[in-house]
Amino acid sequence: MNPVMRLNDVTLEYPVPRQYRKEKILPSGVRNISLEVKQGEVLGIIGRNGSGKSTLLKLMAGVFPPKTGTIAARGSVSLLAGVGVGFHKELTGRENAYLYGALMGRTTKEIDVLIHEIQSFAELEHHFDRPIRTYSSGMKSRLGISVATAFKPDLLLIDEVLGVGDVSFRKKSEERVKDLIKQSGSVVIVSHSMGLLQAICTRMILIDDGRIIETGLPTNVLSKYSKQMKV
Amino acid sequence: MSRNQDDELVSLWGKRSLYHLPFVAIGDLFRSRNLLKLLVKRDLHARYRRAYLGYAWAVLEPLLLAVVYTFIFTILVGSSDPLYPVKIILGIIGWSMFSRSLTTSTKSLSSSINLFQFARVPKTVFATSGALTNAVLALISLTCLIPFYFIHDLPVTWNLLFLPFWLILLSFTGWGIGLLLAPIACKIPDVLNLINFLVRAGFFLSPVMWTYDMFNTRFGNGWHAIVAHMNPTVVPITGMRDAVLGESSGIPNYGYGLCIAIALLGFIIGTMVFERKAHSAVVNV
Repeated sequence: MNPVMRLNDVTLEYPVPRQYRKEKILPSGVRNISLEVKQGEVLGIIGRNGSGKSTLLKLMAGVFPPKTGTIAARGSVSLLAGVGVGFHKELTGRENAYLYGALMGRTTKEIDVLIHEIQSFAELEHHFDRPIRTYSSGMKSRLGISVATAFKPDLLLIDEVLGVGDVSFRKKSEERVKDLIKQSGSVVIVSHSMGLLQAICTRMILIDDGRIIETGLPTNVLSKYSKQMKV
Repeated sequence: MSRNQDDELVSLWGKRSLYHLPFVAIGDLFRSRNLLKLLVKRDLHARYRRAYLGYAWAVLEPLLLAVVYTFIFTILVGSSDPLYPVKIILGIIGWSMFSRSLTTSTKSLSSSINLFQFARVPKTVFATSGALTNAVLALISLTCLIPFYFIHDLPVTWNLLFLPFWLILLSFTGWGIGLLLAPIACKIPDVLNLINFLVRAGFFLSPVMWTYDMFNTRFGNGWHAIVAHMNPTVVPITGMRDAVLGESSGIPNYGYGLCIAIALLGFIIGTMVFERKAHSAVVNV
């Protein structure tokens, strides 16, 4: 299958603040990551807190360039990171959906077509036309997921967002991610919810200290992860 | 060619020649015009949405400030120029145009980090939308001049067209310098402190409360004047006043040249530094 993104020996270390430099502790970040995301796959990333999962997603999204190594991609990439990140709290759900669409490079007309779908999927009812600051965190993640998946990026990066919301919405968003895959989109998902990863991933990687230490089928990677966590 | 075009992966951080960067920035902004429009709309909306008076604040603010400054100035200098309030309003609008687009574009990288991680969007867009928002606000606040047209019977001439020209130049200059400072501000937070100081000091060092005439009668045309023209707000604000009052303050030609040169240089160096440094500087945010 065609790759949609290729990372070649990518390294990025965060700068260490001056006052901690003497401690000689390994800076956080990612190191020597080589990775290919193929079309139509759901790649899960798991690892302990601070192991570099979110940094890896930010590099894939093109938020900042790696220190060394190359990243090449095809088509549109979208990163959904955290609940309500990027939404303007004074704007309504609808206005934020338009803004998000524009960030994805869509014209207002194209968004007009999709807006009903976003509204009905999010099931926010009258809240859809209320400012985001009145939303609960569950409502924010509903909006986030329905907006991000509606614009069908070629590669959707999801950071710890899918596991939130109530049971029925979680089910729905899993379906939505599978739909996206059917339309030959690809998804990279970072989560700590092993059940979710097991259910939707086709391949997984385990990272620790910014390095890939295991790649393979979800079952194998998850069992390695559980062993690691028990130590 | 039998190769499937879908196979091609494009490198995210391809090298571009330094001299192309100003054009790259312009091209990026043009392609993102829909997003720019929405961002400006969002900023305007969000700023006054909860206020009962709404956009009236954009008009009220310079008007109320003018009242205060006129009061202070009449006490300090005993000036009895009836047009002084008009000059002050123009000074305030011009100065806030410059200082706001300077500060918003300088802070844009840290203030909009949430937005540019959503999708791959050129980072210049966020620096620019702040400057554009302030330009729109400044244009709205110009309406507070209308009553003065009736009170003082001010001339309505083609010269008025220079008013938006100078305002846009002020915004352009602030934006260019802001682009230059934005990546530096990510790495060295002290730049933000410096900017805050400069904006406060600049208020007094720019012709907001004083006018070009006052400067001339006090310091004449010597080296003082050359130093004063280095301040990129002196000529445009004076130009705004000339355009509205139908006067000529006798700005020397080198003064015009200098302020346009600073604006263009700020844009060229600003876009070059921004495109080269902004992306990796975001790591520090």
